[in-house]
Amino acid sequence: MKLNNIELQFDDFATEMTKLKNEKHFDYLVTIIGEDFGEEGLGCIYILENTESHERCSVRTIAKQIGEEYVIPTTINLWNAANLLEREVFDFLGIKFLGHPDMRRLFMRNDFKGYPLRKDFDASPEANMFPTTDEPESDFTTEWNLDKQGNLVATQHRMFDEDDFIVNLGPNHPSMHGVLRLQTVLNGETVKHIYPHLGYIHRGMEKMCESMTYPQTLAFTDRLNYLCAMMHRHALVGVIEEGMGIELSDRIQYIRTIMDELQRIDNHLLFLGTCAQDLSALTAFLYCMRDREHVLNVMEETTGGRLIQNYYRIGGLQDDIDPNFVQNVKTLCKYLRPMVQEYLDVFGDNVITHQRLEGVGPMNLEDCINYAVTGPAGRAAGWHNDVRKNHPYAMYGKVDFEEVTMTGADSMARYMVHIKELYQSLNIIEQLIDNIPEGEFYIKQKPIIKVPEGQWFFSVEGGAGEFGVYLDSRGDKSPYRLKMRPMGLTLTGAFDKMLKGQKLADLVATGAAIDFVIPDIDR
Amino acid sequence: MENNKSYFGEIGAALKTLGTGLKVTMKEYFTPKTTEQYPENRKTTLHVAKRHRGRLVFLRDEDENYKCTACTMCEKACPNDTIKIVAHLEENPETGRKKKQLDDYQYDLGDCMFCQLCVNACNFGAIEFVNDFENSVFDRDKLVYHLDKEVYKGGSLPNLIEGGAPLTIGKFNTKTK
Amino acid sequence: MYDFSIVTRWIDSLLRHTLNLGDFWSILIECILVGICILTAYALIAIVLIFMERKVCAYFQCRLGPMRVGPWGIFQVFADVLKMLIKEIFAVDKADKMLYYIAPFLVIIASVGTFSFLPWNKGAVVLDFNVGVFLLTAISSIGILGVFLAGWGSNNKYSVVSAMRGAVQMISYEMSLCLCLISAVVLTGTMQIGGIVEAQHGAWLIFQTPVTWLAFLVFLVAGNAEANRGPFDLAEAESELTAGYHTEYSGMGFGFYYLAEYLNLFVISGIAATVFLGGWMPLHVAGLDGFNAVMDFIPGIIWFFVKTFAIVWILMWIRWTFPRLRIDQILKLEWKYLMPLMLVILTLTTVWVALV
Repeated sequence: MKLNNIELQFDDFATEMTKLKNEKHFDYLVTIIGEDFGEEGLGCIYILENTESHERCSVRTIAKQIGEEYVIPTTINLWNAANLLEREVFDFLGIKFLGHPDMRRLFMRNDFKGYPLRKDFDASPEANMFPTTDEPESDFTTEWNLDKQGNLVATQHRMFDEDDFIVNLGPNHPSMHGVLRLQTVLNGETVKHIYPHLGYIHRGMEKMCESMTYPQTLAFTDRLNYLCAMMHRHALVGVIEEGMGIELSDRIQYIRTIMDELQRIDNHLLFLGTCAQDLSALTAFLYCMRDREHVLNVMEETTGGRLIQNYYRIGGLQDDIDPNFVQNVKTLCKYLRPMVQEYLDVFGDNVITHQRLEGVGPMNLEDCINYAVTGPAGRAAGWHNDVRKNHPYAMYGKVDFEEVTMTGADSMARYMVHIKELYQSLNIIEQLIDNIPEGEFYIKQKPIIKVPEGQWFFSVEGGAGEFGVYLDSRGDKSPYRLKMRPMGLTLTGAFDKMLKGQKLADLVATGAAIDFVIPDIDR
Repeated sequence: MENNKSYFGEIGAALKTLGTGLKVTMKEYFTPKTTEQYPENRKTTLHVAKRHRGRLVFLRDEDENYKCTACTMCEKACPNDTIKIVAHLEENPETGRKKKQLDDYQYDLGDCMFCQLCVNACNFGAIEFVNDFENSVFDRDKLVYHLDKEVYKGGSLPNLIEGGAPLTIGKFNTKTK
Repeated sequence: MYDFSIVTRWIDSLLRHTLNLGDFWSILIECILVGICILTAYALIAIVLIFMERKVCAYFQCRLGPMRVGPWGIFQVFADVLKMLIKEIFAVDKADKMLYYIAPFLVIIASVGTFSFLPWNKGAVVLDFNVGVFLLTAISSIGILGVFLAGWGSNNKYSVVSAMRGAVQMISYEMSLCLCLISAVVLTGTMQIGGIVEAQHGAWLIFQTPVTWLAFLVFLVAGNAEANRGPFDLAEAESELTAGYHTEYSGMGFGFYYLAEYLNLFVISGIAATVFLGGWMPLHVAGLDGFNAVMDFIPGIIWFFVKTFAIVWILMWIRWTFPRLRIDQILKLEWKYLMPLMLVILTLTTVWVALV
């Protein structure tokens, strides 16, 4: 989608945004992109979606400068998803959101100097020496507001009460799927509050992309959520191709769709496995891993990779499909269908699983939209948010598949959505695999790839939610600003809401049934 | 208060699901296992995908000549400076045209992220990735290869370049012979 | 039927009459001998169990399990034991050092103590009190103390949560465990372990009444919970509380918990085999004398081990199939289902004994 931004000024920003949400029904905040627009100053682009018509719009506002500081009114009271998204912008660009109750850094350490995505950022190693001390952590959060004279005033909020029992789940914890840290306030075994701490595997991909050529940026996407490598790269390649106006052959589109779905099966199998493992059903985990091995084998024969696939490139594919690919995929589909029932028999239908997951981590439709809980977790609450249906790309507009939605809105429903999506993915693959048309697998590009000026946003349906890439090009061979909408960030933001009043064991169960991968959140 | 139905009614169904689970694991207890025994099977039943990116090599013709012209496109394409090319200009005495001559093609396997951009950038088809994966050494320096000086002749294992033993989707080979 | 008391009598008479030692010395030497035997058996059985768990678990999960150390991986456990023995033992800062160091010993004492009650063969029951069952349950509850103190003394928040869970769970399940044993006592009319086995000469206890097999099943469930094994391994809960109460233990401190976990599994299976399946008593069917005579040829110790390991295998099967329960569900299962059920069974057994 090429962005045609609605420009809003600081003074009427809050009222106009409220109108957009309440009158025009733009109730899903896809992402907030903070950007240094050069001479215009710092600002944000908000991408919004109307969840009824699936129409999207983008809003741009330039931050107001007060002395050395940049401010924009917060939108957290309209969209709760803005909580972490605005903190991210604050972290990278130093824009303070007025009225946001928790303006702490999100990814970088609290003692990090400077704001890395500003164009005048001092990236020399001396400016930020490698830290040898623990990260200083405050028990207070800061809220910024303007007083009547237009000066910035800070208000401090306490995070913990005097006699709160605080357990740090993570960064090293067996069921935190990596290095997520959830600072959990407990009352006995009951969760009172959860503060997510992110950034333990933050690699600054968006910053790095700004100094790399377009082909070089591709190498990063596979290293986000490594279980959705294909989909991530599809989004990035898609946004660049859209910007350059490349027409792809049908063969490329077919193969990309098949590969995306194979990757989705891979992701969902791992999800089903780790979900079981987090509830200590190690056997069910290994059954899933056993069958995932076959999926990876099929993909590896063509792509040469198991986790880091490196398959899509700007203008097509790295290589044509392997001669045995069609046969292998067919065998795989035939093999996989009965196996899904086995996961249900050994784990999914088990009474203990039902007891552990039903009613755990509930989040209704309205909250899901408000917190931007996309993907299977949102569909479990009945939200029709499948990007493949709403904004079809590649072959998805032409294949026949069902968007799986449920009404349970709890962890059990999330698990079952994954199971049902496995069958849908198999359906899609079986429809396409016999009809891959002849044609080019790669459309030759110039040695140096340049994208004309403009702003684009391209979304794909990742394994755990919507994955989008925003590209601002100024006509160079490297992007001016590249922003990825991670799938897991908003899910993490919803944790506090889902788990208030639930048990500590439910935290693990909810985390198990929400499919997040930390490198994707941290980027 | 729970009524009698919810107290007793679901016991039967619950026990049945537990039984189903036990039945599945019992069935799997006797099915063929999936563990591949890697070091034992490396020369027999091991399969490595032909397109797996193990390391970079120079493609050579029958006379062991390489095609690299030291144009440094691969060096520029590499995102993390894995490739370093040293070359000098040499005048051809017959035509009098100056031509770049490769002195050293240094490839650091320890830095490589196997993105294949160098292969894509090469206009002469001089380099390619092979699936030779047994590259571990005890010293980082040994991972620095000079591709123009070595003549790569297949991997450490027989038939590896061709993929090794055949692969059947849906089956595992736990045997070592 | 081979009677092991021939051997023990011979040693006793050797010490008292041939060597002419007094009461004190002969009893002391006998105690030391028995102690050495028990500890050796304890260690050996632990090694066998750990290896068995790894292989059985692997086979349920479509894996091969350890294969590298020795043929078919049989020396894997020895390598593990060696590693554990040479690891450094260190305590956490600000831990309650005394509780921290005492706790593993309490667990191992409870484990060895209950282990000594097992009847290996006819005439080879080490502790054969007339209040055997009573003492058995008393000693086994020392283990809870060990779990609780370890969790509390470690100065670790995960461990504290785990200690609370462990204590609540084990105290609860002790209830139905004891009720199971009491129903057996009602049927056999004795609390002595040897006596309970002898009382099953005609038929094993689970065949004696129509409800005892239910008590056997409840015993398995409650025993599994008592041994802190999945799906009741809440205290350990490695995906929630890393390793629970023994998170902060290294080397043999952890080794003791590890040993005790597996031996508790064996002890629970052994007691189940003794009380409900006749211990070393061969399978006797009333009326078939020829069959009974053949069964008598198989030594009692083999009967005992076969029965016990069969139950161990079933418990492993259960463990590697089911996901873990939540603390409130585990308590609900005990207090709302198992305990009332056991009370009913106990009543029915009493009625049976009174009428039949």
